[in-house]
Amino acid sequence: MYYFISENVFGLNSGTEHSQARRTRMFNDQGKSAYYVSRNYNRFLYRDLETEGLEHRFSLNMYDYFQGTLNVKRRKQNIRLMDEVPLDEYQVESINPNYSIIKHAGRPVGRLNVLPGTVGLTMSVESRDIRGNIVARENWDWRGFKSSCDYFHPDGTVASRTYYNFAGEPVIEETWMRIGKRVAPSMRKLINYEGHDYRFNSENELFKFFLDELFKKDKDAIVISDRHTLDNVVADIQNVKAKWGYLHGVHTNNAKSPVNGQVLEVYKTLLEQRPADFTGVLVATEEQRDDIRLHFPMANVRVAPDTAISGTHRHKKGDRPKIIFVGRLGADKRPDHALVVMSNVVKQVPNAVLELHGYAPTKQAREELDKRVDQLGLKDNVVFGDYRSQKDLATVYRDADVILQTSNVESFGMNLVEAMSYGVPVVTYNIKYGTKVLVQDGVNGYVVPDKGIQAMADRVVKLLTDEKDWSQKSKAALKKASEFTFDKMIGDWQKALK
Amino acid sequence: MIFFINSVMQKNKSGIEFAQLRRIELFNDHQVDYRLVVRDWDPKLHIATREAGIDDDHLINMFEYFQNAQKVEEKPKHIEDLDFGVPETHLQEEASRYLVFSKTNQLIARANFTGEDKQIVSTELFDGFNNLYRVDNYDTRGFRTLSQWYSPDNKVDTEVWLNTDGLPAVEKFYKPGNDGKLQTTGWRLTDRTNGKIYMFDTIEELTVRFLDDLNDEFWSKKHPNIYVIDRGHVADWGILHLKRAAYSVNYLHNAHASAQDPMAEIVNNNYEFTLNALDGYDAIAASTHKQNHDVEMRYHPTAKLFTIPVGVVSDKLLKTKRIPMKERIFGKMVVFARIAPEKQLDQLAEAIALVHKQVPEVTLDLYGYADSTNNYEARRKVQKVIVDNDLGDVIHLKGYTNKIDEVENQAMLYGLTSDMEGFNLGIMEATAHGLVSVTYDVNYGPNEIVEDGVNGTIVPYGDVEAFANATIKILKDPQLTQKYSTEAYNSAERYSEENVWQGWEALMSDADKVWPTKIAAMNYQA
Repeated sequence: MYYFISENVFGLNSGTEHSQARRTRMFNDQGKSAYYVSRNYNRFLYRDLETEGLEHRFSLNMYDYFQGTLNVKRRKQNIRLMDEVPLDEYQVESINPNYSIIKHAGRPVGRLNVLPGTVGLTMSVESRDIRGNIVARENWDWRGFKSSCDYFHPDGTVASRTYYNFAGEPVIEETWMRIGKRVAPSMRKLINYEGHDYRFNSENELFKFFLDELFKKDKDAIVISDRHTLDNVVADIQNVKAKWGYLHGVHTNNAKSPVNGQVLEVYKTLLEQRPADFTGVLVATEEQRDDIRLHFPMANVRVAPDTAISGTHRHKKGDRPKIIFVGRLGADKRPDHALVVMSNVVKQVPNAVLELHGYAPTKQAREELDKRVDQLGLKDNVVFGDYRSQKDLATVYRDADVILQTSNVESFGMNLVEAMSYGVPVVTYNIKYGTKVLVQDGVNGYVVPDKGIQAMADRVVKLLTDEKDWSQKSKAALKKASEFTFDKMIGDWQKALK
Repeated sequence: MIFFINSVMQKNKSGIEFAQLRRIELFNDHQVDYRLVVRDWDPKLHIATREAGIDDDHLINMFEYFQNAQKVEEKPKHIEDLDFGVPETHLQEEASRYLVFSKTNQLIARANFTGEDKQIVSTELFDGFNNLYRVDNYDTRGFRTLSQWYSPDNKVDTEVWLNTDGLPAVEKFYKPGNDGKLQTTGWRLTDRTNGKIYMFDTIEELTVRFLDDLNDEFWSKKHPNIYVIDRGHVADWGILHLKRAAYSVNYLHNAHASAQDPMAEIVNNNYEFTLNALDGYDAIAASTHKQNHDVEMRYHPTAKLFTIPVGVVSDKLLKTKRIPMKERIFGKMVVFARIAPEKQLDQLAEAIALVHKQVPEVTLDLYGYADSTNNYEARRKVQKVIVDNDLGDVIHLKGYTNKIDEVENQAMLYGLTSDMEGFNLGIMEATAHGLVSVTYDVNYGPNEIVEDGVNGTIVPYGDVEAFANATIKILKDPQLTQKYSTEAYNSAERYSEENVWQGWEALMSDADKVWPTKIAAMNYQA
C-alpha cells in the first residue's frame, strides 16, 4: 500500500495538500490502495477532507487512529441538546451566533461555542469559575462527539489535554510544561494502547510510533513524504519497501536560476543530511531533476506527476470577459502583477473582470491588495473570490477566458492544468519549472518574459478580443490537459516508483 | 435513613468520633439502619473505619459517592502494577519510596509506598524534561483516586478525583486571586448517573448537592431522612439549603458558650452559626438535660430539644459483678483524658499534692496521649507540679491505654478539673465502674453525671483546695466512700443502652410525626 505523509488537511490548503489529496484519489481510483497520512490533531478533519474532496476512508490521521474514531459518521450535535447540561438547573442564553452562555442563578458557569459555519452545532464546551476563568474545556469533533478535554495553568494557558476514544475513555494525555524557558507540550502519553502506556517527548516521537504501527501490519508499504518538516520522522522509519520525498516546490532560494541557489532549509534533511535514509527524491519536471542532479550527483531523483485530473470538461462562455488568478495571495505569487496587468487590459476591454481565488497569508497582505485595486481604479474590474474548495473551483474555471500566472517560480502548476481541463488558455511569465512543460507559447496560451507586464496584458487582450485565436488556444489547452488524466498519470507514477 | 455526618473518621479519633462509634454500636444492637457520612476525602478511610468496626455498607464518603467508588474490587497497587510508559526502567529503593529511572538515568517517577508489602500510596510523575507534572494518589483499596496536576511553577493547579474507570468525577480548580496567589475558585461535578456537569463555588455548595443526592436516593414517604450533624462546619449551613424536605438535627458535642457561663456573650465558635440559625433545624440534641435547659432559656428555639447522651454504658458492664471499695487500691485516683490545656490536669495534680500531705497513700494515674500544642505545654505543666512537690512516686503519666476495666476496677477515685465539656465519656465510664468522682462544677456532663453528695462530690470550678478537701473527706470515711461507690454503680443506669436508645427513639418518632406536615409544606411550596 501507499502512504503519503503530511502534517494535516487544513481548512485552507496549499498546493502541497491539494497535490497529495489528488494523488491519493488517483491511486485509489486506479485500484492502488493509498492513504493520506497526517499527524496533527484536527477536530475538523472530516469537514476539511470533505472540502478537499477526499473520502475519509483514504485518510489516516494519527489522533483519529489512536482515538479509534476512523470512519465515525457525522452526527450533528446542537448546543441546545447537550446531554451534559442540566437544563433543570442551568439556563442557556444565546449571546450571538458564535456562542451561548450557561447560567446558574444569573451567573455564567460555562459557555457553549458554536462550530464556525454552522447554525448552533457544538464546537466546545467551557466550564467557568466565579472569577470568569475557563477551568475546563471539552473539545468536540466536527462529527459530533467529545474528542478531548483541557485543563488550564494559572495564567490561563492550556495545561493538559486528555484525548478520548468514541466510548469516552482516555487514550492520550498531553501536558504543557517547561521546555527551557518556554511552556510547551512536553509529553504525550498513550494510555492503555494494546495493554500498555507509552510516553513520548514530542509529537514527532509519537508520530514515529504511529507510523511503525501502520507499517508493522504492511510489509509492502511505499511511503512518500510530502511535508518536509516530517522528513526526519520518515527517515527514521524502518521496514518499509520504499521511502521517497516529493518536492512540491523549487529546492533552492534562487528562483531564476535554482542551480545557483542554496538548498532551502526545509529540504536539507532529504537532500543533504539524510539522503541515504530515503529511496530517492521525486520532482514534477525533468528540468528540476537535472538541476538537483547537478547539485547532488549521487541522488536518486525521479520525475513523477505533481498533479492529475479525473477528466476534461466543457467550457461555457460567461457574461463578461473573465480572467482568473488561482493560488495563494502570497508575495511569491505576485498577485499585484496581475492587478497591474489588469489595469492595462481594461483600457482595451473595459468590461473585463479579474477574479482572484486564494487565501492571503496575512490580513495585511490582503489589505495591501485592496489598496492597490483602489489606486489602479479597478474596483469594478477585480473580484476577490477568496479561497475555494476543489469542488467549488469548477464554477471558477468553467467560464473563465484566461488564467494568469505571475509567480516568480513554480515547480509545476496544478492550477494551470485544472484551468486547461476546462479549455482555459494560459498567459504566464516564463518561469521555472512547470511552465515549460505546461505552456507552449502561441499554442495553448502565451508565455511572456518574467515581469513582462505589458506583454502579458497584450496577450490577454488578444485572447479576449480575437475569438479565433482564443478558440485555437482553448482547444490546445484541453488537449494539453488531457495528457494529465488519472489513467495516464498512474503509469508515470508506476514508472517513477519502480 | 438516619445519617451521622462528620468530616473525618481517622485512626486518631477525638470525642466526636468516639461518640459516633458508640452510637453506631447502639444502632447495630437495635438493628436500625443508619449511615455514617464522612465528607472529606481520605484515601485511608476504609482502613480506619474497618478497624473501628464500621462495615462498608454503613459508610458513605462524599468523594467515593461521587466517584462511584464506595465498593470497588480491592487490588492494592504495588510497584510492579504501575506502567510509566517508558521501557527498561530501573528502580532505586529508599525508606518509603522507589525512584524510577529510565535507562539513561533520567528520573521518571517517585513511587511512595507504605506497609510491609510496600503498597503504593502515590506516584509523582515527571515528563521527559524533568518537570513534575502530576501526582497520582491511590486509595488503600488500590484504585487511582486523585490526580493532582502541577503548574510550571510547581504548584497544584487542578485536582481531579476519578471514578473507577479513570474519568473525572470531581474536579477542584486553583486560580490566582487579586493578590496573585492561587486560591480555590471552583469545583466541578460530573454526575455519576447521567454525566451532567455542575459547577460549584465552594465545597459547602458541593456538600449540599451531596446531601440532596442522599436525600433523593433514600427518599421515603413514610420516614424522613434524618441528618444528624455531628461536626458543624461540614453541613450546618448546607443542611439549611436542601432541595427537598428532611429532618435535620444539630448535635451539640460541647458546651455552646465559653467557659462556665451559659449566657456568655461570645459563644463557642463551632456552634456560633448553628445557634444563630437555630430554628432552621428541626432539632437540637445534647448529651445533658442541663445544656438543653440552658439552650432553651437562652434561645427559646422552635427547634425541638432532645437529651441523648453521647455515652452509653453497655449492658454487659452494668451486669458485671460490683467490686467493693475495700478490694481496691486505697487512695488511687485515675483520670482518662488527653493531656491537653483545656483538661487543666496540672490543677488536678496540685490538688493531689495537697491531699498527699494528709493522706500519704494517695496516688494519681493519668491515662491519655499528650497534646503537642505549644511543645507539650500541658504535659510540662503537670510534670512541673510533680517535680515541685516531689511527687514522682505519687503521680504517674501512664500514656494511652484501652484497658479501662483493668485500671478502673483497681482504683477508688476519678478526678476531673477541665474547663469545658460536652459530656465527658471518661467520668461516665468511671461511674459505671463504681469509682467515686470528684469534679469541678463544669458544664456540661461532669456536673450531671456526678450528683453531689450522691455518687461523688462537685466542688466549685477552679477551687483546687476544695477539690483536695473533698478528696480527703472521702478517703478518710470508708463508709461514705462505699456509699458513693454503690450509688455510682446505680447511677450508671441512666446511660444504659436502653435509656440512651429511648432518646434516639424519641427523636426518630418526632421526625416521623412531623413528616406528613413537612411533605405537605414542600408540595405546597412547589
